[in-house]
Formats: sequence, C-alpha cells, structure tokens
Amino acid sequence: MDSKGRLKLFILSGCLCLFIILQSAYGEDAWRTDFNSTCAQSNDAMALSMAELKMLIEQCDRLQKIIEVQDETVRKVYLKRLQLCKNLYVFVLESKMQEQKQK
Amino acid sequence: MRKIIFMALVLMIGTGIAWSAQGMKKKKPLPYEFGSVTINNYSQQAGMPPVVFDHWIHRQYYTCRVCHVDIGFGMTAGSTKVRAADNMKGYFCGTCHNGKTMHGKNRIFDSCAREYSREEYKRCVQCHALERSAAKEDDFYRFSERMPNEKFGNGINWELAEEKGLIKPVDYLEGVSGKKANLKVTSDFALKAKVEGMPDIIFSHKKHTVWNGCELCHPDIFIGVKKGTTRYSMVELFEGKYCGVCHDKVAFPQTDCQRCHSKPV
Repeated sequence: MDSKGRLKLFILSGCLCLFIILQSAYGEDAWRTDFNSTCAQSNDAMALSMAELKMLIEQCDRLQKIIEVQDETVRKVYLKRLQLCKNLYVFVLESKMQEQKQK
Repeated sequence: MRKIIFMALVLMIGTGIAWSAQGMKKKKPLPYEFGSVTINNYSQQAGMPPVVFDHWIHRQYYTCRVCHVDIGFGMTAGSTKVRAADNMKGYFCGTCHNGKTMHGKNRIFDSCAREYSREEYKRCVQCHALERSAAKEDDFYRFSERMPNEKFGNGINWELAEEKGLIKPVDYLEGVSGKKANLKVTSDFALKAKVEGMPDIIFSHKKHTVWNGCELCHPDIFIGVKKGTTRYSMVELFEGKYCGVCHDKVAFPQTDCQRCHSKPV
C-alpha cells in the first residue's frame, strides 16, 4: 500500500472511531434526556389526561429496559428515580380510572 | 433455701423477658442529634466507622426532594445501600461531595477514596464519625441561635426559617435534577381528628409539596391522592408509618400536636 492509501485508511479509521465515540456519547445522553423529559411531568401528574399518563408509563417501561443494562451505580440510582415517577403516573391513572367508573 | 433460689431465678428470668420484650424507653434525642441517621451497610466491613449523616447540615441548603428524589436516597436509614464506589463515581454523596462542587466560596470535600493518607483520613472521619464531634455540636448551636425557635425536634422551626429567608433550600442541581414544571399547589384540607375535643388536622399541601414534590409521598407513603383514601391512626404514625416516615425522625416530632391539629375550634 502506498502512502496515499495509508493516509486514506488512517483518516477512514479515525472517522470510524470518532463516529463510534460520538454515537455512544449521544446514546448515553439520549436516554438521560428521555428520562428527564418523562419524569419532568410528575409535578403535573394530576392535570394529565389518561392517554398522556398511559404514554408516560410506556416511556417509563422503555427507559427501564435501557437503564437495566447500564453500570451498577447508574442502574441503582436511575431505576429508583424511574420507579418513583412511574409509580406516581400509574397511581394517578388508576385513581382517574376509578373516578371515571364511579361516575 | 431451694424456694428462695427458685423465686430469685423466676424473678431474674421474668425481668429479662420484660426487658427484652418492651425494651427501654427510647431516649429523647438532643437537639443536635435529632435527624441524625447512622448508615452502616458496608463501612465496618471496610474497616471504617459507620457514617453519621446529619440532616440539619444538609436541609438548610437543599430541599428533601433534591436528595430523596433527584439523587436517589431512600427514605429509611441504610435502605439505599450506598457504596464508596458509588460515591467515587459521582453518585449519592459523591454528587456534591466530589472535591469539585462549590458551595458559595467553599469547595465541598471529596467523599470517598480507594487509598488515603493519614492526613486524608481526617476527611474520612467527617462522615465516618469515630465519636461525637464537639466541633460539629458547636456548629449546630451557633447555627440554631440564628434560627426561629421550636420546642421539639432539633429546636428549629425550619418552615419559619425559610419563610423569613434565613435559609434558602435549593430545589435543583445542575446535571442531576430534571427541569420540572412549576408545582400547581393544591389547597390545604382538613382531616377530622378521631379524639373528641382534639382540633382537626390542617394538612398543608403547600408546605409539603414545595420541599418534597409529589412522587416522594404518593403512592409509597400515602396510597391515596384523594382525601380520605388512606385511613390511619396515631399508633401507626408513631410506628413510623405515613406522616411518621418523616415526622419524629427528621421533620418536627408528632408530640408537637398543635403543629398538625391546628384547625381553630
């Protein structure tokens, strides 16, 4: 392989490495951003519609799968945090459903 | 003679059983000790004294929610099972105690280390308390002198302290807390007292949600979001259930009846 070829290979492998690093960094941030936006609604839980609550609970379930494969400490912290907000959404949804039945 | 020995034996065994069954009357904590939590999941295994966590130091700067929701600390001592490794990764105590975070002009000391020198060990014992610290006790009394007085607990009316602007607990930690919508404060409501002549309870959502958020209490501590869903007795509260999760341990004790049973008769 000539020097031009080696340079191309070097640049290509560099780009590939950068892509992998950026992708994993983005992936890492992505679930945390999702987590924050999902749990950010907990202050408004009582004002949310049943459809909105169901959607948030589904998001919590999706996030749970992602968090379960993280490092031990991250798992411990974020599963606890997720459980707190998911339990609240489930709870508010159940109360709303009960209220609807009573009407 | 045999009769006397037999009687003495019965008396000793009886006293022993009574002692172990009922226990000693709980010692009322001193103002300085009220709200202290001893955490000993792994400390002694690692050759360190248990951690003594003082709520009074932390609650003047942060709301309950920051630590018990955003950082992920459980509501009972030892339930979180924090490891030194967790702190070193920047979680739990290490969220702030990382040697980098600033508090005003002061750098918050680093929490744990894999190896430490004799000099650094002084930092370890700030949390892994070997014995009662006279310096910390002094700090407490100097701090409490500036705060509105309270008869019970640690002698500080924290609610009034915040109202007067003497403490400003932070509800958000950059990079840790998620941005939340402003809380829509639900109005206060009255709960009927079960004892004749005892004023009804006024439950203030405002006081509770501002410091705790919703998810800290519902549904783990209070199963109902609607008034009257959860029925509880003072016995259960004194056993540490419902309001007793915080009141008696960190928040003002339940023996301060008038703080809750406050509806004018």
